[in-house]
Amino acid sequence: MASVKLTDVKKIYDNKVTAVHDFNLEIADKEFVVFVGPSGCGKSTTLRMIAGLEDISDGTVEIDGVVVNDLQPKDRDIAMVFQNYALYPHMTVYDNIAFSLRLKKMPEDQVYEKVTNAAEILGITEYLTRKPRALSGGQRQRVAIGRAMVRNAKVFLMDEPLSNLDAKLRNQMRAEIILLRQKLDTTFVYVTHDQTEAMTLGDRIVIMRDGIIEQVGTPTEVFEMPRNIFVAEFIGAPKMNLINTKLEASGGKYYVRPFGAKIEVTGEKGEELLNAGIAPQEITLGVRPEHMVLSDANDESAIPCTLEVNEMMGSELHLHVYTEDGTRLIVRIPTINLTLEQRKELVYGKKLYITFEGKVMHFFDQEKGLNLIYG
Amino acid sequence: MKKYTDLEFLKLSKGKKFLYKITRFFCSIPQKILGIFVALWNLIKKIAFAVKDEAADIFSTFVHGDWKTKVSFLVMGFGNLARGQILRGLLFLLFEGVFIAYMVLAGGYWMSMLPSLGKVGPEEKYDFILDTYYTVYNDNSFKILLYGVLTIFFIIAFIYTWRVNIRQNKMAEKILASGKKLKSGKDDMRSLVDDQFHKTLMSLPLTGILIFTVMPIVFMILVAFTNYDGAHDGYYSNLFGWVGMDNFNTMLNWNVNSGGSVQSYAATFGEVLAWTLMWAFFATFTNYFLGMFVAMAINKKGINLKKLWRTVLVMTIAIPQFISLLYVSKMFAKNGIINGFLMNMGWIEQALPFWEDPTWARITVIITNIWIGIPYLMLITTGILMNIPSDLYESARIDGANPWQQYTKITLPYMLFVTGPYLLTSFTGNMNNFNVIYLLTGGAPTNPAASSAAGTVGYTDLLITWLFKITQGAESQYYLASVVGILVFVVVALISLVVYNVLPSIKNEEDFQ
Amino acid sequence: MSENNVTAPVKRHMGLKTSRALSNTAIYALLICISVIWLIPFVCILLQSFRVELKGPVGYVLPKQWGFDNYIALFKTDFPRWYVNTFVSALITAVLQTIIVLCMSYTLSRFRFKMRKPLMRFMLILGMFPGMLTMIILYRVLSDLGLTQENAVPGLILVYIASSGMGYYVSKGFFDTIPKSLDEAARVDGATRFQVLKKIILPLSKPIVIYTILTAFMGPWGDYVFAQYISFGTSSGMNVAVGMYRWLNHDQISSSYTMFCAGGVLVAIPVTALFLCLQKYYVEGVTGGAVKG
Repeated sequence: MASVKLTDVKKIYDNKVTAVHDFNLEIADKEFVVFVGPSGCGKSTTLRMIAGLEDISDGTVEIDGVVVNDLQPKDRDIAMVFQNYALYPHMTVYDNIAFSLRLKKMPEDQVYEKVTNAAEILGITEYLTRKPRALSGGQRQRVAIGRAMVRNAKVFLMDEPLSNLDAKLRNQMRAEIILLRQKLDTTFVYVTHDQTEAMTLGDRIVIMRDGIIEQVGTPTEVFEMPRNIFVAEFIGAPKMNLINTKLEASGGKYYVRPFGAKIEVTGEKGEELLNAGIAPQEITLGVRPEHMVLSDANDESAIPCTLEVNEMMGSELHLHVYTEDGTRLIVRIPTINLTLEQRKELVYGKKLYITFEGKVMHFFDQEKGLNLIYG
Repeated sequence: MKKYTDLEFLKLSKGKKFLYKITRFFCSIPQKILGIFVALWNLIKKIAFAVKDEAADIFSTFVHGDWKTKVSFLVMGFGNLARGQILRGLLFLLFEGVFIAYMVLAGGYWMSMLPSLGKVGPEEKYDFILDTYYTVYNDNSFKILLYGVLTIFFIIAFIYTWRVNIRQNKMAEKILASGKKLKSGKDDMRSLVDDQFHKTLMSLPLTGILIFTVMPIVFMILVAFTNYDGAHDGYYSNLFGWVGMDNFNTMLNWNVNSGGSVQSYAATFGEVLAWTLMWAFFATFTNYFLGMFVAMAINKKGINLKKLWRTVLVMTIAIPQFISLLYVSKMFAKNGIINGFLMNMGWIEQALPFWEDPTWARITVIITNIWIGIPYLMLITTGILMNIPSDLYESARIDGANPWQQYTKITLPYMLFVTGPYLLTSFTGNMNNFNVIYLLTGGAPTNPAASSAAGTVGYTDLLITWLFKITQGAESQYYLASVVGILVFVVVALISLVVYNVLPSIKNEEDFQ
Repeated sequence: MSENNVTAPVKRHMGLKTSRALSNTAIYALLICISVIWLIPFVCILLQSFRVELKGPVGYVLPKQWGFDNYIALFKTDFPRWYVNTFVSALITAVLQTIIVLCMSYTLSRFRFKMRKPLMRFMLILGMFPGMLTMIILYRVLSDLGLTQENAVPGLILVYIASSGMGYYVSKGFFDTIPKSLDEAARVDGATRFQVLKKIILPLSKPIVIYTILTAFMGPWGDYVFAQYISFGTSSGMNVAVGMYRWLNHDQISSSYTMFCAGGVLVAIPVTALFLCLQKYYVEGVTGGAVKG
């Protein structure tokens, strides 16, 4: 159990491509941190630098207060789970899990105890004598976790451990990792490209793009207070609707004018705008699909649009619509909010009016895409 | 020549597309050649800059270094010793000691003799007591050249080690300044099986390559600029010496020499080279296509006993070539089994001149090579053919392709893509295919015109067998063999370079991982 | 759907079946032909090794008089000595060359160091020089060391193994297919690079190890050129290829041809047996090597 500290960490490859720029992060003891971002954003590279599998071009990595830049992976006291599991194909499950213990010259009876213990926790006791190729994807994943578990390492690293599993198994394993984390009670660094995993697992989320940290924060923070358009779009599914529009102010109140409609900014957002002293300007307005609603009345807050696709997801409907100037928006409506009659009418070409409340808006400046309030 | 964009190109008719591609290829050749020169120039520039940087670094290390570092410029390893890295320091010191001792005791002599390759040859002396002549052997040109080359290698190694020694001093100062500890001898030993494990693993193989390949090649390149042969063996008969470019001038001269020859060296070389290329082409592609054909026949759905057919062919790989080839060469002989069989059957009256007639001999060699090569190619292609995803064929059949179209549109492009590099190595390998030619024909039948220029040259002789023959016998024109060897290298390198740039499958090797 | 449409496919199906049967028969005929052509020389060698009546080459295959005379005659020549020479050099070469090749290919497959690519390019260029050229000097050097003629075996082994590091392509290609994450997992688990090689890579590389041993053994077993150079006219230092080659020279062929056949059989049998046992691994190595280039 230990803290991890990265200071100005850089990764520059031989071909002068910079994969990670000045990465600064402190991970507290027993914290679960998730690196998330699109592929090629440098999240795996950063993890591998912590593990010692990649050279660190510049900056320092500390584990438990010790600079580990020049240490071999084996001397860093870390455990790691790989995306493709990296199970040794010529060894049985037992030997796979026991591998690191035997390298440490642990007596066989202790090895036995540790391995069977871990197998018990992960529910793979009956497969201990099998070779990895005779296991299913989920079982292999458990073996890989078991192999990392028995080491009692200071830091537990996971590199997209669930991305090779099918959707159903992924959900199940995700829950198991949360349980595992409570049992192990150690420092976790977890890499994924899947925002759902990041949101559900992480104490803190590090959102990366092109080798740069875009935002660090708790799941609530990154969801409700995205620092910029990239984070806003990346977190949440389906992704946030973006509308170029005007922010107007009159009489101590702010209004936005999407597609000719006029909506007042209410609630905390309005106060925050006021406190921050934001001047009226052209902005990019962000509204999450679940915050959009259908509106019947042709009042001044309604945006007229046309239905293109209606995806029935079961508990909710995803309506893909386009406005009069061709902007595409997504509206997410709980199925129970509509009567059967209303649902039947939602077919291609149907004219709709949508609107959203004043308290759910996000405001970004058009130039840099930074959040006007939190950016 | 108009350059089309990709989409414009697609609009062209089939014939025009082909024509366009061909012209593009030939138009690109001058550019490619220019590219080679540019690359060379850049390389030279890079080396020059690297040397400059090194020199500057050495200088600044001296100026900014502490006294331990400064002493290390003279006494290698002193800095290591003074800073507690005993093992490294001792190794450096030992190396310097050995180097100085060697240069004083032997190296200096070899280096001083290198420009002349020996001054005093063997001398006849008269023994007054026994009343006989006896020979006194003096300088040894061969050893001078050999040890001269070795000494140069050694000097280069010393300079490099000296440089490493200086760099280590600089690093050590930096590490100590930052408050960290230096690696101890124990750490060094441990890192030899861990992060520096590659050095341990490669030390033995690379030493072998250096001594048994690099050094001989350098030596033989140098021999091409001497007159080393049977009559000038450098010790027993006569010394040999430098002759500059004379041997190359002889070899590449189209004028007929005096002394009874009717054909110039250049013409002889040209003839042998032409046959070598022809042979390599046929040997490679007949094997390739027929081997693929056999593999496809065995792979075909519905053919039973696949394993048996394969084993029969594979077995022939196991039998040493000197047995099978020598035997086959006797089978085709005038009084051999084949002629005997054909005559017994009454199909021919006179023995067929398999090895006697130049054209017959060349064709027989190629056919025999098919017999040698097909099993091997069958194995290679079987593996790759099975790797072609079967859904490609299924989709082609649904699109309406007949078996021949499936072959030309799917199998062949796939095979050529995957085996491109193999075909290249196979081609150059066949150019140097000593065994097949030497064991089958020994180069026969003799080419009288060509032989008048240099030794015995046969119609089936490749450059490599010709080279071998030149070094045999009393004449042993080693210098000529060296020239031929260098020319073989030039030809192989040129072909490889051109083909390498055309092949689509030469990609970053990491793509496969 | 009209009736025509129903029957047409059935007819077509019959046609497919017969045409397939026809083409399969043709292929069987072809394969039998090929097998015969490929086996004829070996059958001939075997048959002629038992021929007693004439010792020279003849125009017929079946011996008129059968016997083991040729095999007995072999043992009155230097043949046993050559056989031992060949066997010893092939065996030692197989072991040492395999070690060297594996070291080299593992390094080039797994380590990323500054000189890696230049080194590989350099070895590629070195390989373009005809290796035979180096024999001239190697012979002189080995002869100075006393490792030629009657002492040819150690000299020959040295020549065989010295440059074997350059033959790393096939096994490197194989190592490249073993996922790198296995190495990484092992290193995170606490293994040194040496332990990674010993405990992970080698156990997974059995086919390629066997392939390397097999080819390393077969090289010296059938080598003519180098052995001819190093033994240079001294019978006791020759290997089977060099020794038996002389039996087919013009002056000896009429008395030694059948003996050559007998010797050929004795040389071919062990290596063929070994080869057929390990065929699987050989095939794997050959196919893998070609794909990787």
